[in-house]
Amino acid sequence: MSVDSPRRSETLRQRFVGAFASRGTRLSITAGPGLVWLALLLLAPLTFMVTVSFLNVNDAYQIVWQPSLENYARLGADQGAFWNSAFFESLFLSYFIAAVTTVLCLVLAFPLAYLLARRGGTTFKVVIFLVLLPFFTMYLVRAYSWYLMFGQSGVINSALLRLGLVSEPVGLLSYGVPAIIVGLTHAYFPYMLLSLYASLEGLDFSLVEAARDLGASRVDALKDVILPLVLPGMISGSLFVFVPALGAFITPRFLGQGKVLMIGQLIESRINSLYAIGYGSAASMFIVLSIVVAFVVAFRYVSIEDLGGV
Amino acid sequence: MATETGSTTEEARETASPSRLLDHERKEWLLSRGLWLVAGALLVFLWIPLAVMMFLSFAVNASTIFPFRGFTLDHYAATFADGTLMFALWNSVQIATLSAAIATVLGVLASFALARYDFPFKELYRTFGILPMVIPGVVLGIALLIYFRTLLGIVPGFLTVVLTHSVYGFPFVLLMVTSRLYTFDESLEEAARDLGADPLTVFRDITLPIVAPAIGAGFLFAWIRSFEDFIRVYFVKGTMDVLTTSMYSMIKYGTAPKMNAISSFIVFVIAAVLAVAMNVGNVAGMVAGTEEDS
Repeated sequence: MSVDSPRRSETLRQRFVGAFASRGTRLSITAGPGLVWLALLLLAPLTFMVTVSFLNVNDAYQIVWQPSLENYARLGADQGAFWNSAFFESLFLSYFIAAVTTVLCLVLAFPLAYLLARRGGTTFKVVIFLVLLPFFTMYLVRAYSWYLMFGQSGVINSALLRLGLVSEPVGLLSYGVPAIIVGLTHAYFPYMLLSLYASLEGLDFSLVEAARDLGASRVDALKDVILPLVLPGMISGSLFVFVPALGAFITPRFLGQGKVLMIGQLIESRINSLYAIGYGSAASMFIVLSIVVAFVVAFRYVSIEDLGGV
Repeated sequence: MATETGSTTEEARETASPSRLLDHERKEWLLSRGLWLVAGALLVFLWIPLAVMMFLSFAVNASTIFPFRGFTLDHYAATFADGTLMFALWNSVQIATLSAAIATVLGVLASFALARYDFPFKELYRTFGILPMVIPGVVLGIALLIYFRTLLGIVPGFLTVVLTHSVYGFPFVLLMVTSRLYTFDESLEEAARDLGADPLTVFRDITLPIVAPAIGAGFLFAWIRSFEDFIRVYFVKGTMDVLTTSMYSMIKYGTAPKMNAISSFIVFVIAAVLAVAMNVGNVAGMVAGTEEDS
């Protein structure tokens, strides 16, 4: 062992520490790599996509650098009035499905979140395990598990027939919009639950007791005390259900079985079979815009930190 | 739920019978029972399709319960003997590990920038950092496909999937680590500095041990998100297959026995990992965004 080496390592160390003393270096080391990554792999692709939506693509799949609105015109042009076009029909259907899913999640998750917030110990641990396990299970697996349940000869229908409860397969249980809503509710329910739980857990329940002591009915207490305080959780939970439900692809693909075309499927089919990047980009802009609007509205009530964790 | 009970309480008040106190207690009892009933029904809803699938994975007749023909492990044997599927699984593991590692390094560094320093456009940076998580997979997948293929001329494959998932996993690390840094008591660092520790020692002995669980959780989340992602991979994978895309074609072409087996196997693995993780760290708190140390 030489006498020299510890001293040299110390100077190296000091040099390293010295570099971090400068504000500029500190910032570029910490924020820099993420910035480069986001600029190259998020900002650039999204910007390019917006650009492509305003350009044309020729027969050789090459981009013609000339501004045009043709892609947008094509979205609404395939069948008479624009709202009858394949694109707008599936856009509106997607809004409907996503909205129903969000409301269902909200209504179903509230009692469970309330219970979890008021309970501790083993009950809490067991219930949260039972909720988290489906949450961590692959999305694809969960969509598939409902695929087994639904359908004319699916598990539910065959069980009902076998038990003699019905004489022929129940139509509501075949693939279609109801099946998709059930599948999406199942898929995104935990997001809502965890958002609601996070805000109910931070709620001071003595406020509710005070309101009750002062003569408020249960409805009043819920409406005037709990709901306003839980609103941020409800809004962020709704965002985390509505946004992915709007762009859903696997669930409608398997639980719709071709009878239902949600917007994600429509775009995918045009991109994958025709490489119609102009059409796909323009159509994607509608999803992006819807989401921007949803977030702008939501951010009037919640801050971006409230979205954390989930 | 609560609304119904509330209105009945109102009615009870209006009638104001002498046995009001008893009535009130019974209502409380009914309310709590009702709440448990709803909770129970929800857990059944969350579990029934998965339970049925696991049951079918052991059943001879793999597509439906009736007629029931007995149990077998053949489907599992066939699944693990499927070389293509196992290769896809191996691809998924490699991609998830690589991209989660990149996301973790970038995310931890960015978290320190956001939590510790002030700089111009900080809020914009934070918003962009969270964006990959909220932007729908179809949109991100298509945007990156067009970008890679048309603008950069990269042939989609392993590299493009890793790049895509490294961006996708970034927000999960960022959110977990920043929330940990915000609740971090910085006087601990000051105390160490006052006692003569140099910045590097402070980082190694104070900062890192406190932030490490959040970094671990962030990595795990990014890993899981990459592993289970279908739609982004689907667009940028080129000719390569990962587990989810193989499973997708299995469902599409109707091979129920193997699909049940591999799916159930994944649920078993996740159950084991989750049970361990919940006993080691505060998983529920991490996920729900609450920081109660247990």
